[in-house]
Amino acid sequence: MSVSFIPGPAPDLPPKPVDRFKWFFSLGVIGLVVWSALSIDLKWSRLLEAPGDLWTQLRLMFSQMELSEVPDLVAAMWESISIAWMGTLIAVLFAVPLSFLAAENLVGRPVAWVTRQILNILRAVPDVILALAFIPLFGLTPMAGVMAIGVGSIGTLGKLFYEIIEGVQRGPIEAADAVGATRAQRLRWGVIPQVTPELASFSLYRFEVNIRASAVMGLVGAGGIGSDLAQSLRFKDYGSAGLGLIIVVLGTIMVDTVSGAVRHRIVAGSSRQEEDEEDESLGLPPGLAGDVLPL
Amino acid sequence: MIRFEDASVTYPGGVLALRDLSIEVDAGEFVVIVGLSGAGKSTLIRAVNGLVPLTSGKLQVNGREVTELSRAGMRELRSEVGMIFQGFNLVERTTVLNNVLMGRLHRVPTWRTLLGMYPKADIDIAARALGQVEIIEKAYTRASDLSGGQRQRVGIARALAQEPSIVLADEPVASLDPPTSHVVMRYLQQISRDLGITTIVNLHFLDLATAYADRIIGLRDGMLVFDGPGSACDAQVFEDIYGRSLTADDTMHKQAAL
Amino acid sequence: MTVPTVGIQAPNLPPKPRPSLFAIGGTLAAIAMTIVTARSVGFSFGGIVTNLGRKNSVIEGLLSPDWGQIWSRRSRAPFIETFQLAVLGTATGSLLSLPLALWSTRFGNPNPFTRGILRGFNNVIRSIPDLLWALLFVSAVGIGALPGLLALFFFSLAVTTKLTSDTLDGIDMGPIEAANATGANLSQMLRTAVVPQILPAYSSFVLYNFEINLRASAVLGLVGAGGIGNRIEFFRGRGEWEELWGLVFMFFLVVFVVERISVTLRRRLI
Repeated sequence: MSVSFIPGPAPDLPPKPVDRFKWFFSLGVIGLVVWSALSIDLKWSRLLEAPGDLWTQLRLMFSQMELSEVPDLVAAMWESISIAWMGTLIAVLFAVPLSFLAAENLVGRPVAWVTRQILNILRAVPDVILALAFIPLFGLTPMAGVMAIGVGSIGTLGKLFYEIIEGVQRGPIEAADAVGATRAQRLRWGVIPQVTPELASFSLYRFEVNIRASAVMGLVGAGGIGSDLAQSLRFKDYGSAGLGLIIVVLGTIMVDTVSGAVRHRIVAGSSRQEEDEEDESLGLPPGLAGDVLPL
Repeated sequence: MIRFEDASVTYPGGVLALRDLSIEVDAGEFVVIVGLSGAGKSTLIRAVNGLVPLTSGKLQVNGREVTELSRAGMRELRSEVGMIFQGFNLVERTTVLNNVLMGRLHRVPTWRTLLGMYPKADIDIAARALGQVEIIEKAYTRASDLSGGQRQRVGIARALAQEPSIVLADEPVASLDPPTSHVVMRYLQQISRDLGITTIVNLHFLDLATAYADRIIGLRDGMLVFDGPGSACDAQVFEDIYGRSLTADDTMHKQAAL
Repeated sequence: MTVPTVGIQAPNLPPKPRPSLFAIGGTLAAIAMTIVTARSVGFSFGGIVTNLGRKNSVIEGLLSPDWGQIWSRRSRAPFIETFQLAVLGTATGSLLSLPLALWSTRFGNPNPFTRGILRGFNNVIRSIPDLLWALLFVSAVGIGALPGLLALFFFSLAVTTKLTSDTLDGIDMGPIEAANATGANLSQMLRTAVVPQILPAYSSFVLYNFEINLRASAVLGLVGAGGIGNRIEFFRGRGEWEELWGLVFMFFLVVFVVERISVTLRRRLI
């Protein structure tokens, strides 16, 4: 029993503004999608069979597991974790000096610019492509994976590191300058104490990301559990592949949990001194989410 | 018509917000509810459209037993009851018109809402509602670009677009400065008088209440302590409602003058 | 010329605070971890130096890449396929991620049971990397663009759902109450009170997802899932590193351009 009210004809609305950007943007997106869907070399009818095929595959994977394979697969997962750790370590060793050279509050603009471009190029190349390149050099060994992860993480870590360094308080650096410190002394006493906790926290985070990367790299032959997974699927040993997948997921979650707790502790420890830095979700350093995304 | 019979509300955690309340509000009345914060004003208002369920007692709104309504019945009831909020509750990132069209949701098929294709008749109703609060020229402005007073007018327009028989306003002027508060109160009074809409308003400030209300209901600790015309509200009555003498905090103008 | 310091005897400093147990323990654990993992992967500096220092076609190819790859007719088709895969994977995956994210929230799905199932599903798909999806689908449906599309679909679904869910956690609940108070049903409420709030952020996530997908689609082909990766794998198999690096460089030039455009668009959207 609503009241039909407000008598008289409806007043005129003002003219509707046209958002040209939105219009072109939407049209462009729709055009791209339609063009892609029509011209891609793909039998769309196959898509209908895909769920059935996938179901068969999953059933095979999770119905034929043999527990006797667990120790071998766990060892392979450990190899993946080792690859991630050593790779991250190498990356940190290179990223720290590079990040000092890329921080505009420590070096001149031209040096910083050049260093940043190097970091950008390193960041652009996916780890898997690097793994392809290192396999002929190191053979189908874990070291190929270590090198790929090492080189592949320098770019991202370097970028995160220099952003942290540029965010440090100017006070201590000026104080070091004021007592006539050399550049190295300024670095040692003015900068490093301020950034160590965050650098450690970032490195651990990158280690977590790299565990996924190293599992994937094995798929092209660079060692670790990925190699086992690829082999099993290629030779239709589905049970072993299913077990491997479970171990990858569980192993990843376990390392994430431990490493995440340590990061939490590191960030909490450093923010007790500077109270403004409230640790947010998962102890991730601020500004991280946009750039490297945990999968 | 709204009729509470021995209505009580206890929140999880044991807080008694309403105790054995029995009141009747007739169609077309303009009622102001006053009381300290925590006295049960918001609970009372939210009980009317079922946002807060009664723990015991009965509540009849427009001939429906609110406690016995199905989900669809509840939506039906809510579509007849417009609501205005202290924090405006507008979608900031979209246009004023889209906000007002929210008031038409119950009348528009779901697929049309999902595509944003509202029928012309409903857009006309939204335009009339905007005209009623004299803000139609802002129809395509984003809500985030409006001032507080303008936002609350959009809030009123959204409620009007429902073509409601009842309007509930929960502290509608608490976020506004004194002059703007008067503008908003006048719009509320006007829609009640011109359109015959039953209007229940929660207010903190007593001078504002006596200036606009046909009838004042005083709550204290969830209980009815006063129910009468605005003119019968003297200092003694207020002491009953507030449990103490009036202070500058309780009136908008004295407080604004401070 | 040093000025003599105040006083004659240096006053005693308070006892030096010991480094925290956590710091010591952490450092020791990190060292132990390094030793153990170094043995596990057979790490040696000498090995690195000899392997990198050896004359090899990989690094020679890197130093003189074949820039002609972008114009080669045989590379053009996989290039386009990579782009199409990224477009379609993003479109399908992110389209479905919006309802999935909405139904995983408390206000969007009042049923705790189905909500729990959806959240569990989100967590599982998030823990599987792109190339692993590709491998699974190649094994299930055979090689070609189809497994690539399916892999990117799930990968996009995981990424966009996660980002959108995080945004949904922080929205203003006021409009939801207002929509419910008008008698709207659940989907009407979500469409009018929630979607407008997250739409700019969501569009930005979709573009970001497209950037990641473009990169990911370059490697899908390494396991047989279509796109430029097939071509990379082809050159690798034949040891043609000049061609391989030329292709990789050209691809990243394309990625770079697309990223610039996308970043500009994203800035306009937020």
